[in-house]
Amino acid sequence: MTTTLLFVLVAFVLLLSFAYLATRRTKDLPDVDQALTAIRALDIEAFRNLVDPEEEAFLRARLPVPEFKKIKRERARAAFAYVRALSSVSLQFARFGDAARRSPDPVIAASGKQIADSAIYLRLRTLDAGAQLMLSALFPSLDPHRLRALLQQYDQATYLLLKHNVLTRAHSRAA
Amino acid sequence: MAHWYKFALYYLWIAPHALLVVVPVLMFVRRLHKSFPVFFVYTLYETLGFLLRFAAYTAGHGPGAGLYRYVFIVAAAGSTALRFGIIQEIFNNVFRDYPRLERLATTSMRWLTGLLVLAAILTTFYSSGTLPDNLLVGVRLLERSVTIIQAGLLLFLFLFSRMFGLSWRSYTFGIALGFAIFASTEIASWTLGLTALTEHSRYLLDLLPTGSYHVSVLVWLGYLLGGGEKPGGGPTYTIPEIDQWSGELGRPR
Repeated sequence: MTTTLLFVLVAFVLLLSFAYLATRRTKDLPDVDQALTAIRALDIEAFRNLVDPEEEAFLRARLPVPEFKKIKRERARAAFAYVRALSSVSLQFARFGDAARRSPDPVIAASGKQIADSAIYLRLRTLDAGAQLMLSALFPSLDPHRLRALLQQYDQATYLLLKHNVLTRAHSRAA
Repeated sequence: MAHWYKFALYYLWIAPHALLVVVPVLMFVRRLHKSFPVFFVYTLYETLGFLLRFAAYTAGHGPGAGLYRYVFIVAAAGSTALRFGIIQEIFNNVFRDYPRLERLATTSMRWLTGLLVLAAILTTFYSSGTLPDNLLVGVRLLERSVTIIQAGLLLFLFLFSRMFGLSWRSYTFGIALGFAIFASTEIASWTLGLTALTEHSRYLLDLLPTGSYHVSVLVWLGYLLGGGEKPGGGPTYTIPEIDQWSGELGRPR
């Protein structure tokens, strides 16, 4: 009887989940304002400093081990908050690109696809970075994490967004 | 058998299949049979399966009779195989434009399938059923296991694409949603069918899969009739303030 109840419960939860996903579909449109707020709130230079391996090597050389471990944990936690914000930005970028990809204008559509591609890769990088930072916070004596690829991916995604904006404006003016 | 029940039973059995006939016609008219060939074949197969079952039923072989049972089992086996094909088709449609993500999704899906198969085998061992008919118990257990796998894969597809901000084309979403509704209720239906229910409860339970199938067919029809993206209707967004950051964003690092 317990197994029966369990399966019926699973079926009910699945049905609710699918209903929720179906209703969310229309609400998951790209939110430009949310993307803007998220990007504005990001102090990317501060994040670069937080994950700079040279700065970490400097701290390791100067500080006593317990002090260094404590600071590294705090830095990893702070960097993790940035990565979460970056992850949210990447999702907005992906939605934006995916929507632009369906433009009737092939140039805009191609640009949208590039943005979506880049944003998806950025999101993958943020997931990887999040895992690395969690490991860093747990084991501060591990080697410094290298998040250069994540930062490069962010730069590329924002550059593509800028290019897309210029393209869209030029096309609107021409029309 | 009460009059209302007989009406509901026949209605829920016949109406979804009658409506399902419209689905391949609409797909053909909209040239969607090329994008979703397996789903197209599935709708035709289901219609044919229904006609065979109905013929066996009305020819005097009720649900408990041998011919009906074998027709039912053979039709269900083909239908199950086709549903796996449709999940693959949905997967291809969602990730077609994102090869990098497709690789990750393929790997994740393989692992998930392995885990779901394992879970299905384990749950089959722990629930033997209380029906006297061994063949029926076997079929129900197998169907439930397969449905769990299919519902799990569909949920994965929904969640994974949402995690990366991918929007689904309306038709793809409609097809997946229809199957997801049907698969969820099927899990409950196959499970309850294995328990010792009163005759009254069993009668009511018979309405659950046909009822949910009716909803699924309506979802497919709804998305086919009104859900398509308008050609040339794609949005063109601009971000008004982004130019202000150009100095920062364009700076090479």
